[in-house]
Amino acid sequence: MLRFEQVTKSYSGGFVALDRVSFHLEKGEMAFLTGHSGAGKSTLLKLISLIERPTTGKVFINGVDLSRVNRGQVPYVRRDIGMIFQNHKLLMNHSVFDNVALPLVIEGFSGKDMTKRVHAALDKVGLLDKVRCLPHTLSGGEQQRVGIARAVVNRPPLLLADEPTGNLDPDLSKDIMNVFEAFNQVGVSVLIASHDLSLLARMRYRTLTLKNGRMINDGLTSYGADE
Amino acid sequence: MSILFQGRATGATAVKQSLWNRFVMFWVHHIRQALTSLGEIWLTPASSLLTVAVLGVSLTLPVTLHLMVKNLQQVSSSIDQAAQISLFLKADTNETQIAELIALLQANPEVADVQFIDKSQALAEFTAESGFGDAFSYIEDNPLPHVMLVSPKNTSSVAASALLETLKQERYVELAKLDIGWLERLDAIVSLVRQVAMAVALLLMVAVLLVVGNTIRLMILNKKDEIEVMKLVGATNSYIQRPFLYTGIWLGFFGGILTFLIEEVLLWWLKHAIAGVTQLYESSFTLEPMSLAELGYLLLVAISLGFFGSLLAVRRNISQIEATGL
Repeated sequence: MLRFEQVTKSYSGGFVALDRVSFHLEKGEMAFLTGHSGAGKSTLLKLISLIERPTTGKVFINGVDLSRVNRGQVPYVRRDIGMIFQNHKLLMNHSVFDNVALPLVIEGFSGKDMTKRVHAALDKVGLLDKVRCLPHTLSGGEQQRVGIARAVVNRPPLLLADEPTGNLDPDLSKDIMNVFEAFNQVGVSVLIASHDLSLLARMRYRTLTLKNGRMINDGLTSYGADE
Repeated sequence: MSILFQGRATGATAVKQSLWNRFVMFWVHHIRQALTSLGEIWLTPASSLLTVAVLGVSLTLPVTLHLMVKNLQQVSSSIDQAAQISLFLKADTNETQIAELIALLQANPEVADVQFIDKSQALAEFTAESGFGDAFSYIEDNPLPHVMLVSPKNTSSVAASALLETLKQERYVELAKLDIGWLERLDAIVSLVRQVAMAVALLLMVAVLLVVGNTIRLMILNKKDEIEVMKLVGATNSYIQRPFLYTGIWLGFFGGILTFLIEEVLLWWLKHAIAGVTQLYESSFTLEPMSLAELGYLLLVAISLGFFGSLLAVRRNISQIEATGL
């Protein structure tokens, strides 16, 4: 589903954010991406969502080489990837419904079909009763779940999450993770960047660990050694 | 169409729709977006109102000049129709010679009409109209010559001056005069004003383009976060820019309407002043207002200026906003 081949990303000024990173996320697999802040987690996600391009190396999604995707095609690639952001990235002066409906509106949906899908997505994250609310009237956890609903509303085969439990207490974090697990169980590939080690330990999924831009561990959770 | 996942049904195209249905939905979509943009203008009235005002005032000047040219042309053409050649006859011309000349002129195919004014008749008219009145009674001899007013068939200034040249050669004619000099001057002035109007219009149109562009640019910057989010969830540039283009069109439309209103008020205001002037000249001149077709052109120009101004801003600014995300 998602494959990195010797990917290096260096920024002007010589800072190397990712150094020869390779890994492969299978179809329907769920994995964590961890490491200190500045280790390259965000850069890695940016390369997948084509916010950044690799300096060398290749990124494949479903066998498609992303370096072959031109500027005009980037939006269409992003429609195939559900993205969840740490700071939610919601439209604050639009209702929850409008926020979740945004990817559908962009793809040309309207009317009953759209409403049905939005309600289904909000139902999955348990926010069906907040449809008409504005995001700032919601709690942090609820806003995050609106973000998740928006990411999954057009049923993408790949889900990326950047610190989805960033500012949430453990109980809420667990709720959010359960939502991800539910999507994973219906065949969606999920990659979650998180530095919440206790959460990772409880979840027991494959974990990719980055340190100073290098992949130092790829496997089941086994950290603590040099933390 | 999905680029990454062959066969993944995405978007509304995944739902089978008839061609007619899609055609209808296309228009419904556009109308909806146009109305949304109108709503946005309504929500931020201050800056939009200022832009519309700038548009309205800027377009008023060229439109006023255009109307001025149009009315001046109307004046000059009405005078052109009455172009007459005055033949002043030699002082010693007698009755038979005059009759001979009249017959000769009437036979000329270039001449439409000949009117003879006897010198005593001329003196009486002059005494009555000049206001010198009694002063003429002290003059023993009538100093005025006989005059013949010749109306040419072809009233264009070129044909009339050609006729003038031939009539000058007539034996009893002392002096022939065609008063088209000032007419030519008026024509020259009209064409000058028209050129000035064109230049001013061109400059002001560029100004309007830039003003609209700047307004839209500010709107884009105000919505930077929103645009970023839209880009992150897969909106294309053309999707993001569409509402801004509609906003430009609306600004142009309202600017055009405002121009029309200002123009109407201006004409109403000037009407009295112009009536005063024309009364002095005993002319039946009436001020021609803006015609429906002209209003149509005005709106067309204003709307295109709004559209292209916003296109300018949109092209530059929307692709510059990159999703930074994460």
